[in-house]
Amino acid sequence: MSMEVFSQYLVNGLMLGMIYAMVAVGFTLFFGVMDVIQFAHGDVLMLGAFTALVTFLGLDAIGITNPWLQILIMLVVSMLLIAVVGALVAKYLILPLKDAPPLNTLLLTLMLGLVLRELVRLFYPDGSNSKPFPRLLPDHELHLGAFSIRADSAILLVAGLVTIVALHYVITRTKLGLAIRAVAQDGETARVMGINFHWIVLLTFGLGSAMAAIGGIMNGLYYSEINFGVGLLLGIIGFSAAILGGLTNVYGAILGGFLFAALQTVGSVMLPLIGSGVPSSYKDVFAFAVVIMLLAWKPSGLIAERSSERV
Amino acid sequence: MLHTLKPSRSLLWAAMVVAFAIAWGVLHAESEFEVGITLVAIVVVVLAARWLRVAPAVGASMNDHPRSLGWACILGVLLLTAAFYDDHFALLLLCTVLLYSVAGFGLNIQFGYCGILNFAGAAFFGIGSYTAAVLTTHTGTPHLLVLVVGGLVSALLGSMLILPVLRTRGHYAALVTIAFGILFKTFLEVNDTLGGPQGMRIPNMNILGWQLNEDIVIGDLDISFYANYAVLSLVLCVIAFILVRRLERSWIGVSMDMVRTDEIAASVFGVPIARMKIIAFTAGNFLVGVAGAVYGLLTSYVAPNNFTFSDSLILVSMVILGGIGNPWGILPAAAIILILPEKLQFIQEYRFLLYGILIIAILLFRPDGLLPRSIRNFFPGQSRT
Amino acid sequence: MSTPLLVSQNLTMRFGGLTALDALDLTVYEGEVLGLLGPNGSGKTTFFNVVTSLYTASSGQIMLAGQDISHKSPQEVYFQGVTRTFQRSRLSLPLTVFDNMVIGNYQHLNLGLGFNLFQRKRLRQQYDEMVDKAHTLLQTFNPGLPQKLFQPTATLTMIDRRRVEICRALLSSPRLLLLDEPSAGMTHDETNELMDDIMQVRGLLKPFTIVIIEHEMNVIQRITERCIVLNFGQKIAEGSYEEIVADPQVQIAYLGQEQE
Repeated sequence: MSMEVFSQYLVNGLMLGMIYAMVAVGFTLFFGVMDVIQFAHGDVLMLGAFTALVTFLGLDAIGITNPWLQILIMLVVSMLLIAVVGALVAKYLILPLKDAPPLNTLLLTLMLGLVLRELVRLFYPDGSNSKPFPRLLPDHELHLGAFSIRADSAILLVAGLVTIVALHYVITRTKLGLAIRAVAQDGETARVMGINFHWIVLLTFGLGSAMAAIGGIMNGLYYSEINFGVGLLLGIIGFSAAILGGLTNVYGAILGGFLFAALQTVGSVMLPLIGSGVPSSYKDVFAFAVVIMLLAWKPSGLIAERSSERV
Repeated sequence: MLHTLKPSRSLLWAAMVVAFAIAWGVLHAESEFEVGITLVAIVVVVLAARWLRVAPAVGASMNDHPRSLGWACILGVLLLTAAFYDDHFALLLLCTVLLYSVAGFGLNIQFGYCGILNFAGAAFFGIGSYTAAVLTTHTGTPHLLVLVVGGLVSALLGSMLILPVLRTRGHYAALVTIAFGILFKTFLEVNDTLGGPQGMRIPNMNILGWQLNEDIVIGDLDISFYANYAVLSLVLCVIAFILVRRLERSWIGVSMDMVRTDEIAASVFGVPIARMKIIAFTAGNFLVGVAGAVYGLLTSYVAPNNFTFSDSLILVSMVILGGIGNPWGILPAAAIILILPEKLQFIQEYRFLLYGILIIAILLFRPDGLLPRSIRNFFPGQSRT
Repeated sequence: MSTPLLVSQNLTMRFGGLTALDALDLTVYEGEVLGLLGPNGSGKTTFFNVVTSLYTASSGQIMLAGQDISHKSPQEVYFQGVTRTFQRSRLSLPLTVFDNMVIGNYQHLNLGLGFNLFQRKRLRQQYDEMVDKAHTLLQTFNPGLPQKLFQPTATLTMIDRRRVEICRALLSSPRLLLLDEPSAGMTHDETNELMDDIMQVRGLLKPFTIVIIEHEMNVIQRITERCIVLNFGQKIAEGSYEEIVADPQVQIAYLGQEQE
């Protein structure tokens, strides 16, 4: 394999891993504070991408054309709006079902995802088809020795890294992060200690959703298009990644995201080699099959999930 | 006078006559005007029942006389089949409702009794259809056996997922079944041996000489061939219903409920958790597969497009809407979910959106569904000596 | 001298950095009523959980009637004749009282698919037997209970629910009954009544072994023959109620170090 093809696969794999990691981290955060699986998280990402697109169209219409400014405003608007959406979901859909069987919440969020997908498909003009996402990043090639990478990919990778580091900082160095970790560990005790459980849950959902918005914009910038259905697969992959990482460990989730991307990349490379008739769309089949097998072998994820049941 | 209405068999039959009239009206209505009138009639009946407070008495009548209720339903379906004897579309709808109900019974065992989430219902349905397609096209297997094999293949492929499904936390089963569903659809689309995205045609069904895909001509009457399938689906539905009922009203049913509500207490008193989950998951998938096999033969066609994740969500919606754990609720839920979009064409486009919102509302405000599950009555109607 | 029924040897249970049971050596003799005491967090419930195999010990052994049950499943331990109640009541509230109770007699239920689906008459016979047994047992504890046999457990009072839980543990005529704070939430009178009822049932059958965790000293004094006191997962005292109450180690454990 030539260096060029290799670097292409590598960059692609890293990008995918980054986006999956963004989604997976959200799942981990939500499961940590509320013991819930927010199945609509991938679709929240999709919503973030569309919000950014609408913002762009608005900016374009009022004459703001500097791409960096556009990106900045898109980021801010999308992150804020989607954070609010996340908090609303927490307040009106998740918290009310706090004492119901957990399967009910899982079902509800699945349906929520369906509703979000359909809302975009039906009410965004020509929603069933993919929409072009603006190319706002410079796309010239950068050369580092034999290794070449496009500038926009490099920027996105760096941005992803920065986001993850920022999240790490928030979780480990700020009071908010401490509160989130306290609630994730033991909600009852955290409450007794004076932490406002309700607000922390809302903030956590807001934070996780804002990250999804970033992921959505990254997704749009990388593929130059977005589609109403992109959230479903991303959500499932993100969830798988989170489980692989043990569901209570943020770093496990990030690792899981990159692992899944690696599986997909390996799959798309290897499968055409097995037989000429095997198309690379099998890569999803391959990746999911491996996930199912991993779950069967080590059901609590590669990093053990902490059991919260007291006997 | 109506306040002292006593539960009785006659009240039961009266209620069933009203139900039959509604069902007839819904199937018969074609123009939007007719549909509107039928919906208004339904609302009027429901409101009247509440105002006159007959609901508890009717409910008690149904509980006290389950045999009569069963016969009334069977009779009702047969009469509907007769009433629409030449209406292909109405009969097709009737068959679909019956077959999806059978699939719903299967999911009910898994989720309603044992607490296992299965989001690959449509995939297992599809496995049944594809099995029927392959067996009828390439082998001479008698078609009744084909139905059974369809169920068995579904159960067998489902067992590949059993290890993650056995995990305590429900989200493992959810994830694994969703992944399996996607895997299944992608595999079919990419794979040309089973017809690829276009799917496969299925030969006509023939049970011991009874040609189910041919219209029946009796004198001047030309009875739609769907009537054959309606009878077959009805038989299947009744058998499945009885088996599911008996399962619930047995030591296995109690064990499954215990597994669902408190695994720790269950294990400390000897309940074999893994075995119960395996029985529930396998039996459920078997029923779904059989229903899928009949459906494939009914439509003479099978394609991957019919078995998407959204379709699995519809099956799950049916079980939730009907009332988790109550097989009686699945029939009206299936009727609502399947027939309404056909009759109200303008909501066809929006049907997934509406189902999603409906189920969210139910989970928030009435998680017990249309017909909440009643307490277990092991041997109803038979007084203790 | 009576034979040992339940023996723990060097039993240790660690949860991460916390040692709940610390090389515990404990013997329960056949037929006795043993009180298991100790301040909160001393490892009593953990001991029950290890015996019933809900936890697997980090090291050490548990023997039941000479057989090593350290690595058996909870189901296997049950089939050896061990039943229990829980500190926080574990009943399935939407299910009927009968549904909850009949689980207690699991070893006598036929679980075959064929039996349950197709031999309904024989199922009916077994069902009638179970209903009678449940009836009789509930009658002893509260004459008003048997008529609620087929009502959802959620409709029962807290006390009645506790009684149902105890009846569930008694239904299979166990060899060893583990009671975890059965009197929690009851008045003195209700507690006394409950203990009398348990003893009454015990008197009707072969006197089975009871290990009871309790904080109500009244109960311990009345019904136990011997007590073992735990602290920090270790046994610190053993003997009759009078003996352990006078034991200075026990006093320190419960009341704290005396100021010099």
